[in-house]
Order: sequence, then structure tokens, then C-alpha cells
Amino acid sequence: MPVLRFKQWRLSDLTGLSPEELKEALFRLKSESEEAEGYFVVEVNADRPDMFIGEGLARAVRGIMGEEGWREPLSERSGVKVEAEQVPTRPYIVAAVVYGVNVDSEDFLEELIQFQEKLNEGLGRRRKKAAIGFHDLSKLPSREIVYKMDRIDREFQPLGGGRKSIKEVLEETEKGFQYGAIARYGELHPVLEAGHEIIAVPPVLNSELTRVEVGTRDLFIDVTATNLETASVILDVLTSNLAERGGRIGKVLVAGAEYPLLEQKEIRVSEREVVGSLGAKMSLEEAAAVLRRMRYNVDVAGEQLVVKVPPFRVDVFKPIDLAEDIAIYVGYENLGPERPRELYALRGSYDRLSLLERRLRSLLVGMGFTEVMQLSLTSPSLLEAMGLREAAVEVLNPVQIEYSVLRPNIASTMLRMFSEASHVSKPVKVFEIGPVAFRSRSGKVVDEEHLAMAIMDEEVSYEQIQAPLYSALRVLGIEFSARPGESSITMVGRTGELLVRGEVIGFLGEVRPEILISVGLEYPVAVAELNLTLLSKLT
Amino acid sequence: MRLMRERGFSSGSLSKASAVLGLERSKLASILMLLKEKGIVEVRESSIWRPRLTSRGEDALRRGLPEERLIRSIDEGGTPLKELSEMLGEEAGIAVGQARRKGLVSIAGGVVRLSLPREEALERVAHLRRALEECREGRLPQRELLEELRSRGLVEEVEEKELLVTVTRDLEEVLKDARVEMSRLTSSMLKSGAWRSFKFRSYDVRAEPPEVLPARAHFLAEFIERLRDLFKEMGFKEVRGNVVELELFNFDLLFQAQDHPAREIHDSLWLKGEAADLSEYGELIGRVAQVHERSWRYKWDPQVAARLVLRSQTTAVSARTLIARPRPPMRFFTIGRVYRRDAVDATHLPEFHQLDGIEGYPGYTFRELLGTLKDVSERLGLEVKFKPAYFPFTEPSVEGYVRLPNGKWLELYGAGLFRPEVLEMAGLDYPVGAWGFGIERLAAASFGIPDIRILYTSDVDFIRKFRARW
Repeated sequence: MPVLRFKQWRLSDLTGLSPEELKEALFRLKSESEEAEGYFVVEVNADRPDMFIGEGLARAVRGIMGEEGWREPLSERSGVKVEAEQVPTRPYIVAAVVYGVNVDSEDFLEELIQFQEKLNEGLGRRRKKAAIGFHDLSKLPSREIVYKMDRIDREFQPLGGGRKSIKEVLEETEKGFQYGAIARYGELHPVLEAGHEIIAVPPVLNSELTRVEVGTRDLFIDVTATNLETASVILDVLTSNLAERGGRIGKVLVAGAEYPLLEQKEIRVSEREVVGSLGAKMSLEEAAAVLRRMRYNVDVAGEQLVVKVPPFRVDVFKPIDLAEDIAIYVGYENLGPERPRELYALRGSYDRLSLLERRLRSLLVGMGFTEVMQLSLTSPSLLEAMGLREAAVEVLNPVQIEYSVLRPNIASTMLRMFSEASHVSKPVKVFEIGPVAFRSRSGKVVDEEHLAMAIMDEEVSYEQIQAPLYSALRVLGIEFSARPGESSITMVGRTGELLVRGEVIGFLGEVRPEILISVGLEYPVAVAELNLTLLSKLT
Repeated sequence: MRLMRERGFSSGSLSKASAVLGLERSKLASILMLLKEKGIVEVRESSIWRPRLTSRGEDALRRGLPEERLIRSIDEGGTPLKELSEMLGEEAGIAVGQARRKGLVSIAGGVVRLSLPREEALERVAHLRRALEECREGRLPQRELLEELRSRGLVEEVEEKELLVTVTRDLEEVLKDARVEMSRLTSSMLKSGAWRSFKFRSYDVRAEPPEVLPARAHFLAEFIERLRDLFKEMGFKEVRGNVVELELFNFDLLFQAQDHPAREIHDSLWLKGEAADLSEYGELIGRVAQVHERSWRYKWDPQVAARLVLRSQTTAVSARTLIARPRPPMRFFTIGRVYRRDAVDATHLPEFHQLDGIEGYPGYTFRELLGTLKDVSERLGLEVKFKPAYFPFTEPSVEGYVRLPNGKWLELYGAGLFRPEVLEMAGLDYPVGAWGFGIERLAAASFGIPDIRILYTSDVDFIRKFRARW
């Protein structure tokens, strides 16, 4: 969940609320907040980018306090024109001007940059899908702007630095390192040019030339993207929020179309759709009033509401999205839980596998085995020691090497468990039920639910593990046969394989001394392991 | 008591009783204390003088009594006293004096002669040597012999504390009234009928027994089984899925765009190797592609959906349940492990258990979803409160907080109504509510465990001893 920082004075100016009232209002908008060193730190849900800046946050809060609807800002033609050439790695650009943004303080500038960064991260997918550039309109060398591919040996003055080639910026700066590969095309990279000067190298960084600073009045905004609709939505969010600062919007001509679109979706909903899906007791009129306070423009047309969604609400597509806004306004607690009577007549049931596990658990406990639970992620070195590395299923992106492969059987991790707690009172008799995964001979990843049981003592024999295992299976009425088998962890000649209806369902045996030594165990161990997934299907 | 009567013990020291009755001192002592309490015997502590060998006595036993050595040293024809004094040293005087008094030797003209044959003379002093040996073994020799040994400084008497036992009642009588007390009832007593003549000793029931560690189910497994029972009881059908899952069910069907940050590499765990075959999901793939491209404005890639991931949410199992298009009204739940890209610490594990539930019927409402969550919480004995939330696949979305026994609120449920897009992909035409929660954190909180790693301990004794209260 994005966390945003706003100067306290900004929010109290914009809302007229005390910190306590503000906190309460934000909570109702599904945002938690706290005060810290002159800031309000607010957790905003990812689907509400319109609340990533003070003006948008305050607009939502004032709605909760009673302000209704949304008025589209005035707009005019700005006279700025963007010509887009072929940019294969990032084909789309949209742009707009917002007059009277008036960057009047460092605090607002800080918030503006935060707004840009959070949008780049979320809707822009870390700039891969879309990225935003802010420019001081008055500093544009020309009103004719060109978006094109250019050679990376061309020089310009990047924001906050001396003249450099694009190549140097891409390869040697932090921003270049983070975003330099997104749109680069060999020796070419997209640039934004005005009057033959580079004003931006999207999506990496802007030029010093058009720097936005305290004193900047009007903004020129560009959004470059791999998807036109995403770019346009982001531009709508930006302009409709910045225009809240009392300004007008200046339309920019991009490839023959005027931006921003400031698109207002229209959703027609019935009472059943917005109120019925919640189960709320509320008239259509009441629902309309609530939606207005959630800043929608709403008309009642007979049995329907015609809802105009403001351009900054990128999260609203369907009637159910409007229903959620109603529920949020009313408050989930006030809505009140209600038991679904229709569902209480249903008969529940257990899965077959769960039932088998349950019965085995009680039998094994009865025979003196204690249940243990271990992680199924384990270390490659353990499987190496067990001779199980071949079949191991490896995690592509592990955090810790100790948890980077899945165990192909439970017995292997059980041996490690014994070695970690060899002081426990003997005999140790344990079992575990849990998932395992391995690569089959054909290379396919297989995951199964297994049961393993083991005994560790001064002396342990095959029969000690065999007897309880056989008893458990027989008590469950499972008919099985045994034959000599082999496993990398049990001794040759002391390994048995169990079969049910011709299929191998498990093995048992005495653990090889070299395996015991390799995990640091000085007590003999006998193990058995069953494939419960298969067993539950066969019985 | 029977032994006392049979062997005629009426009084004496504990040592004596032990010897007479053939019982170990320690065992006998505790029996006697019991009899004392019942007033059958009197037990007093008293001092007893007991002989002990002096160093000279020890010496005499090792090298022979002075008179023995004397007898051995005298030649057939007699040996001059002077010569004997040289041989026997300072003991010569005692030896000669003693031997002469006992008529074993005679002295004439400074020459000592044996009055008896040598063997006979030795025999005459042997009883003294035996008395000395008795003293060493802690037994009491004849009084006059003891006197002699003592006066000759071969033994001394030391004081010893000893229990003196006196039978104060007629044992015959006592035995007739009181039956013998036994500690254990045995099979042979039952078979022979002997149990009738025994009385069984009372135990100190307040005393602690030795510690026994039970074999048992793991407390986390018990907790999970309890949840399983709870949902079954509420009319939910259990389903299970695999931990290795297609991205299709873990993400795509749950309306998470393929380029969404939540699907990026640092949240979930992917598996090495080739993508799976999606051909069996042909029709579903078509619907998923259509909904994603329409809603998220990007080119949906079936290759991405075919990658294998370690299930990051059990909602993947619910997604598989949905595509089977269950007939309403329906309720399903699943419990299983999920995997996350988290480093291990007190509140995080790379894998843990989740419970996921779904329910629905035409006309199902958001309030009813809240109602079910409230019911589940109440059955767990927990107070619940709700807060709006955001999840990509539900709308409205809600987080449920439950109040723990320590008064703190724990964020437990993530829930909501499945978005229409999800239902459209799955091919369902009625509203479905869904929720999930992590089991370990709730279990740890319920057990009062501060660190969830303890749930996966290697220490079997800990598991066997653990006090599982909830």
C-alpha cells in the first residue's frame, strides 16, 4: 500500500480540519494516518492515485464533510503542439498544460515530486508502462515539441548535472541505471525536443533547462507510454488534480488530438446493482446523495442513476465499484453484518485426503509417534547430502539459500530435524504430514502430500518402523504388498517398497550410516514414507 | 511382623534386627517407623560402644600377636632372652610375659623354652587372634577376650548411634487383627485369593509423579483440524489443491494484470524450468485474455499464465473451484500451505498455512459476507471489526480485524465480493463472496507464542511438553 507524506499545514489549509478530524475522515476513506515530525503520513490504497496529492486527498475528505459532486475545470487551447515521430520502444505520448499551479513553496514542490513518483510506480508500472515529465511552461524554448528517437551520443544538460551525452546518463547515473534499459534501442533512445534542445529523455529524466522550482507558475506535462489509454488516464489524474489549485487547463495538440481528454465515464445503475448487492437498506435517492458526496455527479433517471465518474477516479468501472463507495461512505460497521440464511442449510464435508490424514494421525499417535511440522522449502546442501539433488525443484528467486529448493521427500528434512535436536529423549518417534515436490523423469514438476515416520534410538531395526506402519495400513483396511526397493537414503538390502494395486505408494528402511554421518547424526534411524495423494486415490 | 514372630525377635539394635530378619537396614528402618506409628514397636536412638582395632591391633593381625611371633621364634632347645629381645624389639617383654602367664613358655637361666609343642602353643593363642578378627569385622567377641584385647591396647571402644528396637505388643495378637499392608495388588494375589489377607497401603496422593511426555499430534495441526471442523460444521465443503500452481490460477484468474507490481519477482516464489501446458484450459484462456485486455489495456500473454509459481494464496484453489461452476447455493473452503518471498523472522516464514472460503447464491450480498465473517469469528471466540480495503479481485473489499485475548487487534481476514471480471472469466452468473486468512499468526496469538518460528521447532520434547490452550 503506498505511503504518502504531506506537510500538516498543507492538509489543514486544504480541508480546514484539525488533525483528529482529519484522521477520522481519512479512516472512513480506507486510509490510516499518523502524525510524524510536522508531516501527516497516510497509507492510501493503490487504487486511489487521485489521493496521492494534498489537493486530491482534501477533495475526497471535503466530500465526507458534505461537499458534493465535481466541477470540471475551465480549459482553453494552450498553443503547445507535440509532434510524435516513430518511437518503437515507447510509441505513445500525451501532454497538457496546467495554468496557475503556482509552485509557491518547497513543501508543495516536494509533494508534487512525490505525486509524480507514486504515479510512475503504480499506474506507470515503475515507468515501464508509462512515465511523467513536469516542465516549467515559461522555460520551454519553443511551443513546438518533437518526440523522437535520437542518437545516444547527443549531449544535453540533465536535471541537476553538467552537460553529458545521453549514453553517459543511461550508463553512469543512478536514474540511468534504474530506468535506462526500458526504452533504449541500441544506439538510440527516445527524447523530447523543443527548439532543437533536449528537454527530456523519457522515461529516465528531464533536462535542467525546463526545471520546475519554487516560483514556477504554469506546468507543461508530458506522459510517454507503451499504451495510449494508460498515458491518457495518468494525464487525466494529473491535470484534474493540479487544476484544483485554482488554475485552468491548457489543451495540447498531440498527433492531431487534443489532450487531456478529462474523460468522464458514465455508468447507469439500478437500485439492485448499487444497493441490492450490498444488502443495504437505502432508497435510490439516498444512494444518489451518498455518491455525490463521494464526488460523483449523479442524475436520477426513473429507476436508474446516471453516474458521471470524474476523470481522476481510475478505479471505477462497474456498478459494484459505486456500491463499494456507498459502503465506504456509510461505514462497514454501520452497514451491519447479516447472516446468509440461504447458506446455512448446506451440508459440509471433508476432502478425502484430509480424512485419510486424520485417521493416520490418530493411529500413529496411538502407537507412540509424535507429530512434527517442518517447512517444505529446504537447502540444496541437504538434498546434496541425501543424494536427492537431481530430482529437486528449485526456486527461481529465493530470498535465502536455506529455503531455495523444495524437499522431494519428508524423510530428508526429518533427518536434519533430528540432527538439530539430537539431545531429545530417546527413543524419538515422530511423523509428519505435508507437501513435497520433485521433478519426474520426464522433467515435469510433481507435488504430492506425503506422510513420513521415523524412529531414532541407540539401536533401531527395520522391524520397529515396519510393524507400526503395517498395523496402521491394515487397520485402515488398505491391502498392500511389499518388495525389496531402493532409495538414496536407506540401506541396500534393508529397504522395502510398498505397493497398492500395483502402484508404489511408499518405502521404508534403515537409513544408511554415511547419510547419518553426513548430517551429523550419531544415532541410527529407521524411516518410512507414504504418498498420501496417491493412496487416497487408490483406496 | 510375621518374620519377627517367626524368628523370635523381640528387641535389639537395628543391625541385629537386620541380621535376624534378613532385611536391608534401609528398608527395615522405614518399615519400623511405620510400625512405630502404629504403636507396635518402640524405637529409641541410643549409643552403643563398639570395639575398633587400634594401630597396634591392626599390626598384630598383619604380623601376628607378639606371643605368636615369640612362639615361632623359640628354637627347639630354647633361645636366650637377649636374642629374643633383639628379634622382637620392644614387644619382647609383653610377649614373654603373656606367654609365661598362659604357661606356654618357661624361663630358666636367661633362656626361654617352649613348655608345649609349638603347634599346640600356637593353638592356645589362636582364639585371641579370632577375637581380633571379629572386632575388625564389626562383631562383638566374647567379653573376657574383648577385655584382654582392650587392656593390651589392641582394640579400643568407640561410641556409635544405633536404633534400638523393642517390640511392645504381642505380635501374635497384632497379626491376628491387622492384615499385612501391601503396596501392589498383583495378579498372583488375585489368583491365589491372598489379596483377602492384605491391606493396601495408602499413598500420598499429593506427591508428584515422575514426568511422562505423551506422544501427540502437533498443536498447529490440532489448530488446523479445529478450523476444518468449524467450517465443515457451517456447511462448507472442503477442497484441496496443489502447492505448485500455474500463474493462471494464482494471478490471472484473480484479475491481477500481468504487468502489475504485485506479480513482480519480489513477492512470490517462481520455479525454475519450463512453463506448463495450458491446452486443457482452452476456453478459459480465451475468456481470461479478453477480460484482461479489455480492463487493463495491455497484451495478455498465455506464456506468462503458464509459468509455475509456488502458490502465494489459497485463493488459487478457490479460483479452480470457481471454474468448475458449482451450482448455487454453495459454500467451499480449503486449507493449505502458501509461499511468499519473505526472509525468516519472528513474524515471517517463507511458507505458512492459509484458509480460504467462498460462498454465494443469486442474491448474495456484501452484508451477508460480513455476516459469515462475524459468525466464523464468534465460533473462534473472537470479536471482529471491519475496515475497507483494496484487493485486485474483490469489490467491495474488506479487512477483518479480530481482538486477541491480550486485547490487541490482529488483521486477520482479507475478504470481499469477487469482482464481476473474475466471475466473467470463471463463467459464473451469481455473486460470490471470498475471504482468506493466515493460520500461523492466529495460532501463535491463540497459543501465546511470541515467535511463529516456534511452530516449526525441531525440538520434539518441546512439542510433547507444549501446553496447548486456546
